[in-house]
Amino acid sequence: MRIGIVCPYSFDVPGGVQNHVMDLAEALIGLGHEVSVLAPADEDSPLPPYVVSAGRSVPLPYNGSVARIAFGPVSTARVRRWITRGDFDVLHVHEPLALSLSMLAVLSARGPVVATFHTAMTRSRMLAAAQGVLQIVLERITARIAVSALARKVQVEHLDGGAVEVPNGVAVAKFAGIEPLPGWPGECGPGTGGTLGFLGRFTEPRKGFPILRDAFVELARQRTGLRLLVAGPGDPDDLFARFPPDLRDRVTFLGLVSEPEKARMLRSVHLYVAPNTGGESFGMILTEALAAGTTVVASDLDAFRRVLDGGRAGRLFPTGDAATLHATLSQLLDDPVQRAELTACGDQVVANFDWPVVARRVLEVYAAAIEATDGRVIDQEWVGLT
Amino acid sequence: MPGMWWVVGATVVVALVAVYLVWTAGRVERLQDRAQLAARALDAHLLRRAAAAAVLAERREGVELYAAARIALDAGPEEREAAENDLTRQLRAVRLDPSDADCEAIVAASRRLALARQVHTDLVRDARSARGRPLVRLLRMGRGHTWPRYFDIDDPTLTVPAADVPSR
Repeated sequence: MRIGIVCPYSFDVPGGVQNHVMDLAEALIGLGHEVSVLAPADEDSPLPPYVVSAGRSVPLPYNGSVARIAFGPVSTARVRRWITRGDFDVLHVHEPLALSLSMLAVLSARGPVVATFHTAMTRSRMLAAAQGVLQIVLERITARIAVSALARKVQVEHLDGGAVEVPNGVAVAKFAGIEPLPGWPGECGPGTGGTLGFLGRFTEPRKGFPILRDAFVELARQRTGLRLLVAGPGDPDDLFARFPPDLRDRVTFLGLVSEPEKARMLRSVHLYVAPNTGGESFGMILTEALAAGTTVVASDLDAFRRVLDGGRAGRLFPTGDAATLHATLSQLLDDPVQRAELTACGDQVVANFDWPVVARRVLEVYAAAIEATDGRVIDQEWVGLT
Repeated sequence: MPGMWWVVGATVVVALVAVYLVWTAGRVERLQDRAQLAARALDAHLLRRAAAAAVLAERREGVELYAAARIALDAGPEEREAAENDLTRQLRAVRLDPSDADCEAIVAASRRLALARQVHTDLVRDARSARGRPLVRLLRMGRGHTWPRYFDIDDPTLTVPAADVPSR
């Protein structure tokens, strides 16, 4: 199948959507399909061979953060040319409701269009105000994919349409055989040692870092050698100021990490803790921790419960409850057998999120979109679904 | 010459209205065509599922399942939704073994059917809302087509027990 994928955000900066697009494209190529990705990027930036640059992007505030996107007459011409040259069986756009390449591609497309919605936009007033314009865009989309139950809910409630839920994938193969950081995770015996991990913006309240800190401080006073490994953006001084002076040497801060470093970091801890208090639509980091073979302890959010299969693949604790988190951590660090059971189950669960598996489900949506456009049914073999 | 400007202005307005009407008519037409094609794809997937169910029923000597599959295949437009729901219920009662090729075929067919149904529902909704606009109704655009109909059935997705999912 010839597949054209449009990524609205620039490949010059890392981001969830960009990673998703690259992983999906690679998984589809791995399944034997021809894939071309159109994305904004600076002329001289190194790109994977399947990416076509749509020119420079401009920073634009969108949905609470700054996105680098491309829009305008020049971009329109490039999108049209790319679509004509590509002669795609299906066009797959990401986030088509942002003013971006994706929207241009939808408006220029003639054949079947599949759209993936990533963010769970809840600013319904904006959506309601632009409903008439958005309707023109939405009408040209044949099939919609939502990456999480929350994103799907937004679709149904605000955009008046259904969507197929296909989860985010995780490249399990990239995590296999990755070595932990030297000297980590270290010893972990009954009542002593052990390493906890946290990844994310520790200053952001929704990430729930204070809950983990409270649990860690109390547990560190009971367990000698307990360590905490923190990665993510932020100022180290600000982080260490949050801990009592006598415990600061048991906290290690890696700062912002790259994708390969992230995998190593996740392998370097006994327990990965996700104390988020909300705002999480999918829980990508949990699938990554599971792929790294790390035991996960997460707050009992809807998204987390789904990824962890209701608590089978990782331990859940009541959201915001530092005392229960403390007890859970203490008990799991003392019990290697239970940790092994959880990770074994995690391996099974994460197999469903592996990119080749997820890409096959995306291919089925492509097939449905193509079929709905020309009324014929595609054989499983032809699209390589089997 | 103020009279001239009136003429120019009126011509521009008429031209804009004409463009809008032509565009709207094209839009209604396109949406209805799409809904029709989606209905054909949905029909094909319904037949596929019923055929796969019949094969499974023959192998397992499931008399009720076979009957449900036959009824779904033969149902007329009026009773088809009920017949398909019946077939879904029968299939849900079957103990599915993921290692069996016939079971895998029915699970895959059901999944593809669920997608076809979702796409069809969305496209029918778009077509109906375009056709229901006051202007479109007034000018009787798209009257060459019958109103697109929803195909209202339960979610046909079959769940294989989680513990039995083969890890790839």
